[in-house]
Order: sequence, then C-alpha cells, then structure tokens
Amino acid sequence: METVLDLLPLLVKMAIIVGVLLLLPLPLTWLERKIAAHIQQRPGPMRVGWHGLLQPLADAIKLLTKEDHIPAQADRMLFAIAPVVALVPPFVVFVAIPFGDPIQVFGTEVTLSLSNLNVGLLFILAVSGIGVFGTILAGWASNSKYAVLGSLRSIAQMISYEIPMGFSVIGVVMLANSMQLTQIVAAQQGLWNIVVQPIGFFVFFVAGLAEAQRIPFDLPEAEGDLGAGYHTEYSGIRFSLFMLAEYLVVVVLAFLNVLLFFGGWLGGPAFLPAVVWLLLKVGFFIWVFMWLRFTFPRYRYDQLMTIGWKVLLPLSLLNIMVSGFLML
Amino acid sequence: MARTQVKRHGWIGRLFFADLLAGLRLTLGYMFGKTITHHYPDYEKWIPYQRHRGHHFMNTNDLGEVNCVACELCSKICPCDCITVIPFETENGDRRPEVFDIDLARCLYCGLCEDACPADAIKLGQEYEVATTNRATLVVHLEDLTSAPRKAINGGQVLPARLDPEGGLRSVPRSGTETVGQDWWSRIRQGK
Repeated sequence: METVLDLLPLLVKMAIIVGVLLLLPLPLTWLERKIAAHIQQRPGPMRVGWHGLLQPLADAIKLLTKEDHIPAQADRMLFAIAPVVALVPPFVVFVAIPFGDPIQVFGTEVTLSLSNLNVGLLFILAVSGIGVFGTILAGWASNSKYAVLGSLRSIAQMISYEIPMGFSVIGVVMLANSMQLTQIVAAQQGLWNIVVQPIGFFVFFVAGLAEAQRIPFDLPEAEGDLGAGYHTEYSGIRFSLFMLAEYLVVVVLAFLNVLLFFGGWLGGPAFLPAVVWLLLKVGFFIWVFMWLRFTFPRYRYDQLMTIGWKVLLPLSLLNIMVSGFLML
Repeated sequence: MARTQVKRHGWIGRLFFADLLAGLRLTLGYMFGKTITHHYPDYEKWIPYQRHRGHHFMNTNDLGEVNCVACELCSKICPCDCITVIPFETENGDRRPEVFDIDLARCLYCGLCEDACPADAIKLGQEYEVATTNRATLVVHLEDLTSAPRKAINGGQVLPARLDPEGGLRSVPRSGTETVGQDWWSRIRQGK
C-alpha cells in the first residue's frame, strides 16, 4: 500500500509533463507563425478563432486526417519507426529537468522533477544525442535523394556541434562542482552563470541552435535547397510527430539555457512562484529562438563546419582553460 | 550589409557581431510595429486614389443627358478595340450614342479613352471589383456607365467594410464610416 502512495505523486507528475509536452507544440506553432508574420509586417493567422488562436487545432485536424503515405521503395519498418525515434528523446530529457525546489503538498514534500539524477546534465546531453537517429533513419528509409542529403548533413552537423556543446557546459559544472541540475541552479544563488561564463553561454547557445536544427543552422531540412530535407517523404501524422519533436527540442534547449546560465528558478520577484518565474525565462528563450529564425539566413554547409570546428570548439576549450585558471 | 557593418564598426564590432545585432534590432522593430495587411474584403476596404483607373463611368449634364457626343474618338484610340459606339440624332439635333458598350474583359484600363474624349464624358472611376462568374456581364452598357461609381473623393485610405449582404462578390464600406478610415501609409516604415 505504501509503495502505491509513493508512486502516486510520480504518476501525477508524469501525466502532467507528458500531457503538457504533447499539447505544447500547438501554441508554439501559433506563436512562431505570429512572430514570423509580424517581422514581415503581416498579421499572420487571423481568421480561425480570436487572432487565429484556434489555427493550430485546425492544422492538427488537417494533419491527422491526411493520408499517411509511404513511398513504394521505402524501407517500411524504418520509415514507421523513425518519427517515434525522433520524438522519444525530447520526452525522456524531461525526466531529468527540475522545475524548482521541493514544495509542500498536503503535508508531504514533493520534488519538482521526475528524477533528480546526480548526473542529470550528462544524461540530458546523452539522450538528446540519440535524437539524431530519428533524422538519420528517416532520411535513409525514405529512399529519396533529398531526404538522404538532409540526413547526411544532419549527421555531420550533430557530430560537429555536440562536442563544443559538451565542452561549453564544463565551465558550469566546474563552478557547481556537480552535474546535478538542482545543484547547478543552487550554485547560481546571487550570481547567474551568464555573468561568469559569457563565452560558455555563447558557445552553448549557438551549438544548441545547431542541435535543434534551427535557422541559421537548419541545413538538414533546408526548405530552399532540399525540399524539406529528411522529412520530405513524410505526411500526415508521421510528419506531425517530427514537428512535435522539433518544437520539443527547442523547449528543452530553452530549459537548459535557463537552468545552466540564467539561474533557473532563482532571482525572481517575491510575488511570483519559482516555477512561474522559470517558465517565464524559458518562454523568453523560446521567443528568442523564433526571433533569430526569422532574422538570419541559413549558413552554407562549409560555413557551418567552419563555425563548428574553427570557432566554437577553440572557444569552448579556451573557456574551460580560463575558468580553470580563475578557479585556482 | 555585413561588409558595411564591419567597415563601420571595425574589428571590435566584428568580434561582438555588430552586424548580427543590427539585423536583430531591425526585425525587433518590425515585430512590434504595425502590420500593413488590408483585411479585405470582410473587415476593411482600400479606397483608391483619384488617379486610379478602374471601372469606367459616363458623366451626365444638368439635364440628365450623357455628355457623350458619340464622336467615336475613344473607340478609335482604344488599343484593344473594346469600345463600341453607335451614334444617333435626338429631336433637338444633338448627336448622342445609341449604343455605348465597353467589354471590360478586353479593356486594359490604360485611360486613353479618357484622354481622347473631347466632351468630358468617359472616365475611369474607383470601382475595381469587377469579378464575375458570367463573362457576358463584363460587357457594360450606357446605363451601367452612367450609374457606375465616380472617381473617389476620399481616396487613399482604408475604410471599415463588410461583404455585400446581397451575396455578391463585392466588399462595401460600412455605412457612416466615410470619414473614419485610416491613412494606410502611416503604417509603412520609411527607410533612411
């Protein structure tokens, strides 16, 4: 009986997180279209609901009722698996993401994370690295030139940018003496990491953009030159799974940026609950990602590699060295 | 853009991405600026300027007769032969058109008929919604021309509008809103 009672808060938290994450891309697509439109002096979706707020619902219904087409020469099993493989890692990452300090509910202490791993950061980086398999499998299984080109690009991009991304957080880990995300946040009490680790933040932010395959690093799905890249052949619900995964990766990145460099739930005004303050920061980062997307053009492939290996990697190594000397 | 920015800010600007920041500042300004879309046809309608060349109209004199003297100059000058004029003589000896047809499907709205007209009769007005599902209705006759909308006196603004309640394909300005239109050009950001 006691084990069931122990499981209950876990199950509730899991249900909340999975439900919110599944529904989150709906408002995010609306937001992205609105931001794109206003940057281009258009109003964006206006007709379905107030200021087009119900437009994502209409889009979702359209996507779910569309024919789910599999190309004749495709590898049918991989083709079916790939969207799920792309979708699972961003969900799994949320296992390790804390939303605040433990709170009291009905007299029992509830931690605001599914699991407070002591290697949380490592776990997140490792799991989000798996996400690239969805892209690779999708490109390979489609048996389409565009899709293969897109997934080839994405492999090279992921390998190049995971290294500076991993190095850039080492400075943060050194400061916190821990890879536990709650410890990292606690170590930022008084002074956010952005102040002491500006280079680390810059490298992490840019590499994160590349990991999420957002403009200016969206070569795997470059609409202009590859059709739609790795998901060219996907339609209907499978395509919407890719969309879902893409938006969730953006949310994960926003969370990581806030937790690692912007003090997590610390430093908010007193009247705001810590969770709300955290979510406000995350929302700000999501907005910044969308703002960047509709400001910058896409980098060329060789420029992408140059930035990854010749700029970000040396910068991240330099960051580790400088923080090491300063800590001594 | 990038090159001029590097020149302007030097290597320090380049180090701190002055060009990227300039781009971000620009898009931020647009993001919170006004949109320029006309919500046509069911919320707003653009009233064209006086110089706009739309659906033709025919001026009439104080007695209600058409100004046209059926000289057929418009028909002669028309580059696409879309004007048909057949003259006749009235009881008091005036020369007037018996038939004055314009095929709007052929017309290219160049306004040469307006320039050629010696009697201040044929003009091009503000009406621009001539879409139809029946091509025969695109040939307009003399009575259509005399009743067609004149040149706009309140042109160059966006008026609140709604779709024609009779189910036509027209957007009509809401009644009583002739003076509350917005100057659309104020929404346009002027470059340096």
